[in-house]
Amino acid sequence: MKNIVETFNLTKIYNKQVRAVDDVSVQIEEGEIFGLLGPNGAGKTTTIHMLTTLTRPTSGTARVGGYDVLKEARKVREITGYSAQEAGVDEYSSGREYLTLFGHYYHLDDQTIRRRVNELLELLELTDAADRLVATYSGGMRKRLEIGTALMHRPQLLVVDEPTLGLDIQTRVRIWDYIRTLNKDGMSILLTTHYLEETDKLCDRVAIMDHGRIVALGTPNELKGEIHGDVVMLTLPLEEPDQRAKTVEKATRILVAQTFVKEVQPTDEGLNAYVDQGSSAVPQILHLLEQGGLTIGEISLARPSLDDVFLKYTGRTIREEKGKAVGARAAWIRRPR
Amino acid sequence: MRNAIKDTWYTLLRYLRTFVHNPFWMLILLIQPMIWLVLFTQLFQSITLGFTSGSYVQFFAPGLIVMLAVFNANALAFRMLNDINYGVLEKMIATPVNRYSLIVGGLLYIAVTWVLQVIIVLIVSFLMGASVATGVAGVLLTFVIVSMLGIGLTGLVAALAVTMKRPEPVVLIANLITLPLMFLSSILIPAYLTPSWIQTAMKFNPVNYAILAVRPMFLTGFDWMAIAQAVIVCGAFALVAIVVETAAFRRFGG
Ligand SMILES: Nc1ncnc2c1ncn2[C@@H]1O[C@H](COP(=O)(O)OP(=O)(O)O)[C@@H](O)[C@H]1O
Ligand SMILES: [Mg+2]
Repeated sequence: MKNIVETFNLTKIYNKQVRAVDDVSVQIEEGEIFGLLGPNGAGKTTTIHMLTTLTRPTSGTARVGGYDVLKEARKVREITGYSAQEAGVDEYSSGREYLTLFGHYYHLDDQTIRRRVNELLELLELTDAADRLVATYSGGMRKRLEIGTALMHRPQLLVVDEPTLGLDIQTRVRIWDYIRTLNKDGMSILLTTHYLEETDKLCDRVAIMDHGRIVALGTPNELKGEIHGDVVMLTLPLEEPDQRAKTVEKATRILVAQTFVKEVQPTDEGLNAYVDQGSSAVPQILHLLEQGGLTIGEISLARPSLDDVFLKYTGRTIREEKGKAVGARAAWIRRPR
Repeated sequence: MRNAIKDTWYTLLRYLRTFVHNPFWMLILLIQPMIWLVLFTQLFQSITLGFTSGSYVQFFAPGLIVMLAVFNANALAFRMLNDINYGVLEKMIATPVNRYSLIVGGLLYIAVTWVLQVIIVLIVSFLMGASVATGVAGVLLTFVIVSMLGIGLTGLVAALAVTMKRPEPVVLIANLITLPLMFLSSILIPAYLTPSWIQTAMKFNPVNYAILAVRPMFLTGFDWMAIAQAVIVCGAFALVAIVVETAAFRRFGG
């Protein structure tokens, strides 16, 4: 398999001190959907800006489709389609005019442009609104139009920064569908996201990014597989925050001492215990904690999620429900071996 | 090269299409010079006696033509700030579009609106009794000289916009520059009626070179010395502005 993207120690330092992207070397294979997952400020957009020739790397370089982003920027722009994080749409033109402009900027001929514009309007379900001013479009329509501008020239690589940021769930599902359809037709796709679900549902491979660095890389299943076994999720019903902290600490101490418990991690409601075998661990855990004089609220068993992976590598969780990542520091307590 | 010309054309077309969607803007743009013309000639009517030549309209019409180029200098910057804010410029420079075409297309857009305004000024001032001493040739030469001046001013403010990326400082700085450029010239009153320090300042003002070349073409005849100076000064000014704007563009996005 050929690589559509290769980066070599790609680094961007803003104002001589902010290491937005720090020594990133990754390969993205032709034909895959590759996700960059990380919280706000992780350096995802900066990485993408360097790959789309919008920002010059401070050091290191990258090749897209075999072309160097610094020395062959023009070639890179020709084979890449870039859809920005914030839908960059011209309020003073209609959807059709905006797509047409990009067709011209990609130097397509008039006939191809007309055909392509109609195809894309159809695909992105914008045909009815095509001749209305973009100023009247909803957020979801703008984001779809934005993706459309990146597709006018059938790029080899589609780069989408946060494809579904701030969109409602129906729109998100539709955009996932478009991306899958494009990928089936052979387009390589690089996307960034801080929605775990998006990476899990959509991506062939994921790189987890934090503080400008890639901290883990693999298929969603491989990454989850790195956390062997199951997750036992416990809630500890206690009113007093002080007392709860003590209880969580006590429960953690008890569990960490067990050989079948690999790691313990505090959560909002109680704690998660990572174990080899969930079915045998649950009764043992119940027993041990009761012996220790602790009351358990609920106990449940789950497969590890990407959130657990993220936590393992960054010491923080990504919270999805707030629509943006909240990095809550949580101690990842390792069982001494 | 073919692509560069096409890119310029479609960039210009995109700007002009704004008027199709907002015909009201177009109307304001065209009414504006009429208002200036009537307002200024009424305001300064009484000092007509101080002039060696005809009525104030006759004197002011060429001045207004130059003045409109100064007034339009901000217009492109605002469109570009809008494009920067909405991420449109970023999207454009991620395509293989020619960078110079984006710049030149914008400058041409301002030139087109200015030419439309000038046509209005000419028509109205003819109706008010003015005439152009050098006829069509003089009008065409005026277009050339003042276009270069306009490109220079517009390019510099646009470069400022691309660098600052925010409207507030651009408005402040642009006013700080363009208003003195207008007042430190003989647009409103002839130089010999101004104090000597202003006459000195005028020597460093490209706007003044434009007006010194253009006004005689309207009032008396070609002043080739003034025309040569204006072409050199305004031409150099336009070139510098394009270089500065290109540099600002290159830095955009870092
Ligand atoms: N133009 C810029 N100037 C200075 N700092 C920047 C700039 N762009 C991004 N940064 C900083 O770089 C880091 C990474 O930002 P970004 O790439 O936007 O992250 P993400 O897209 O993952 O949210 C952040 O700390 C951000 O504040
Ligand atoms: Mg981002």
